[in-house]
Amino acid sequence: MNGPAVNSRAFRIGFLAALETDDGAFVAGLLVTNRYGRPLEFQCTSPVRPTHAQQLLYGETLRPFLLGELMGRALLDRLGSPPDLLVTDNDHILDLRHHIAIPMARVEPQSDDSTGATTAPPLGRVRMGRRILSIHSSHETDIAALHHGATQVTADADLQEPIERVRQALAETLQGQQSGNPSGTRS
Amino acid sequence: MEPAVDRQRTGVQPPRVDARALPLHLDVQLFSSGLGAGITRPPGCHVAAQQLINTPRLLPAWQPNWGPVKSIGVSFPECPVAESPTTDSFDSNLDGAFDVPELGPQASPHAKSLSRGRARNKTTRISVPTDALSITDRLFYLLQPPIETLLSGQELVMPFEPFPFQYHGIAWLFSQGSALLADEMGLGKTMQAISALRLLMRAGQIRSVLLVCPKPLITNWQRELQMWAEEIPVVAIEGPSARRRMLWEMPNVPVKVANYELLVRDLEMIGEDDFPAFDLLILDEAQRIKNRESRTNQAARSLKRHRSWALTGTPIENRPSEFVSLLEFLGAVPDHSVTDIRQLNRLANKYVLRRTKDRVLKDLPPRLDREELLELTPAQQTAYVTAEQEGIVRLDELGESITIQHVFELVLRLKQICNYDPLTGQSCKMDRLAAEIEEISDSGGKAILFSQWTKSLDWMNQKLQHFRPLIYHGAVPSSRRDAVLERFRRDPDCPLLLMSYGVGAVGLNLQFAGYVFLYDRWWNPAVEDQAINRAHRIGQQNPVLVTKFICRNTIEERIDKVLQQKRELFQAVLGDSEISNASLSLDAQDIFGLFELKAGHGDQLRSITPPSIENG
Repeated sequence: MNGPAVNSRAFRIGFLAALETDDGAFVAGLLVTNRYGRPLEFQCTSPVRPTHAQQLLYGETLRPFLLGELMGRALLDRLGSPPDLLVTDNDHILDLRHHIAIPMARVEPQSDDSTGATTAPPLGRVRMGRRILSIHSSHETDIAALHHGATQVTADADLQEPIERVRQALAETLQGQQSGNPSGTRS
Repeated sequence: MEPAVDRQRTGVQPPRVDARALPLHLDVQLFSSGLGAGITRPPGCHVAAQQLINTPRLLPAWQPNWGPVKSIGVSFPECPVAESPTTDSFDSNLDGAFDVPELGPQASPHAKSLSRGRARNKTTRISVPTDALSITDRLFYLLQPPIETLLSGQELVMPFEPFPFQYHGIAWLFSQGSALLADEMGLGKTMQAISALRLLMRAGQIRSVLLVCPKPLITNWQRELQMWAEEIPVVAIEGPSARRRMLWEMPNVPVKVANYELLVRDLEMIGEDDFPAFDLLILDEAQRIKNRESRTNQAARSLKRHRSWALTGTPIENRPSEFVSLLEFLGAVPDHSVTDIRQLNRLANKYVLRRTKDRVLKDLPPRLDREELLELTPAQQTAYVTAEQEGIVRLDELGESITIQHVFELVLRLKQICNYDPLTGQSCKMDRLAAEIEEISDSGGKAILFSQWTKSLDWMNQKLQHFRPLIYHGAVPSSRRDAVLERFRRDPDCPLLLMSYGVGAVGLNLQFAGYVFLYDRWWNPAVEDQAINRAHRIGQQNPVLVTKFICRNTIEERIDKVLQQKRELFQAVLGDSEISNASLSLDAQDIFGLFELKAGHGDQLRSITPPSIENG
């Protein structure tokens, strides 16, 4: 197996998610946790609203560009130390994989095995904790990183849950900004 | 080939493609060798397609510059992680820094059973405290995982599966800088506090904790800390003053446990300025600081700390001012605040978490209360009537000079006669008790009996010798108390434990006993409930039968009514009741009200009331 050379004690997972606001702007957040889901670092962007020129130029590929290449990469660049695996549940964000050297995976929808049953995942997918994860079709070697990650998290870990935390945090930052408090504090 | 516009739309940085022009127009030169002159056919020239090493993607070379993306970041402090688990005592940590070990997924045999028993879809999130104003503070709490994730035997080993309401309590404590956990006795306040401090320590939020509790509970806390947070070194402050001073200043033991009396004494010895500061101060049985003028209260409030938690099942024992004292300790109200019931209700919503067993422990076997109304024996009746009549006459004669102490003495005298007649030893309660213990003993059950007086307990001990009762009250040396409890727990031939309210009512886990007797009544219902909850708590497998002995037509019946009224006061502040005119001074009034005392002024008689009430 050509898995990444990671220290099992320091295995870190990054969880990437994004929100679209009512007025068409996007915010993205990246939460890095240890293998138990405990937060280590969080980065989130300010709202990015695509210009008319961007909409014309990127057309259907606008979201992969904004969420992945532009915002996702910016968040990764600002991290103190990069994660060993990036997880998202968004196909557009998954395209970030074209621009980075970190393995990426997507949480398969409806894959929560909360009953504890251990049915084998389909070919090309890996069960990590309670969820089944898939990789980008252009980066098949990432499957090795998933297999390694599966040995790091516990059987009842839910890799969708940290993504929901990121969304809540993004909603909180948006709420703070919409209340007209640029310092990010609440009264 | 893609049109230019399509190429631009992709907007993706293309992989580098190396291209090299291959000349297809080949120069051909002919040389005459002299051989085969007859061959006039020109040489052949063929062109073949070759696969490129990389698949070329035709993408734009032009990249627009969209400017930098602004971002904000939060980093989460981490507690130092040791290489291996440790359960070292403080002695082995004297020279080393405090490390919290990181435990692997199967580091403990308990872990597996814990996660197996957990409802995996249930999660308890940590809420954002209302006083967290900055976005980074709010994100810190929002981004914490569910409590179940942290405490599911993965990172932190838990010996038992907590109940859902306990997860909620842990999450609530985690996010509270000031908190009064007022769960009813027996719901696991200790375990919730330990788990929350453990998580805070793991999250790098606290590094030093002082836990203050009544002296008899020190060993209990040490045992609970060992069970619920085995990786955290703990030291009990005890011994001669020089040793205690050394222990207070020991930097690398994160949790120190001290009793209230020592705290007061050592604070005076070391001085407020030199006394160490703590990230978290926990007061167990926090009703001990209910009197805001007491040295204990002042010592607790003077300690330097970042977070303050108070644990008590009885935040109000007698009057709302006791609750205010706790709020002052928490910093929720300024010192010497005057608050009404409505304000207290509002503050309770913010700072107090209280759950009762009937609401959260649907599976806990029920507590069955029964009042045994007994008729005094003839000798008791004679002694009682004599004492009451003589006592009232004496009180009436005192007139305006009467004090609460005078009335109190009569009450005590009458209560003692209800327990047994000192001259003959006759006792209706003892007759009933002996019959009941006989039955309990025969069925293999165990019973705890509470009385206000050690003298009564000693008398009962003599009377019930054939049941080999065990005694646990203030006269039993501290060093022997644990052994008494252990014998009661283990020895099937010891069905009865005689306890005083003062020593046995708090902190002890006696859930293997199915019967509780209140031989006489304490002055407030909270203490009685605490006593009963030694047996009626988590872990109890059977219904707990609580028997309250009340002698008919005696002062005990009147006291029972007062206790009921105090229960209602408690509900008014912490419950949903709308009683808003509860008296702030019940004790003196209640005790005077037990007798109809009159003072004579010529032909006029008027009721005598305590001076404090008259003065207003």
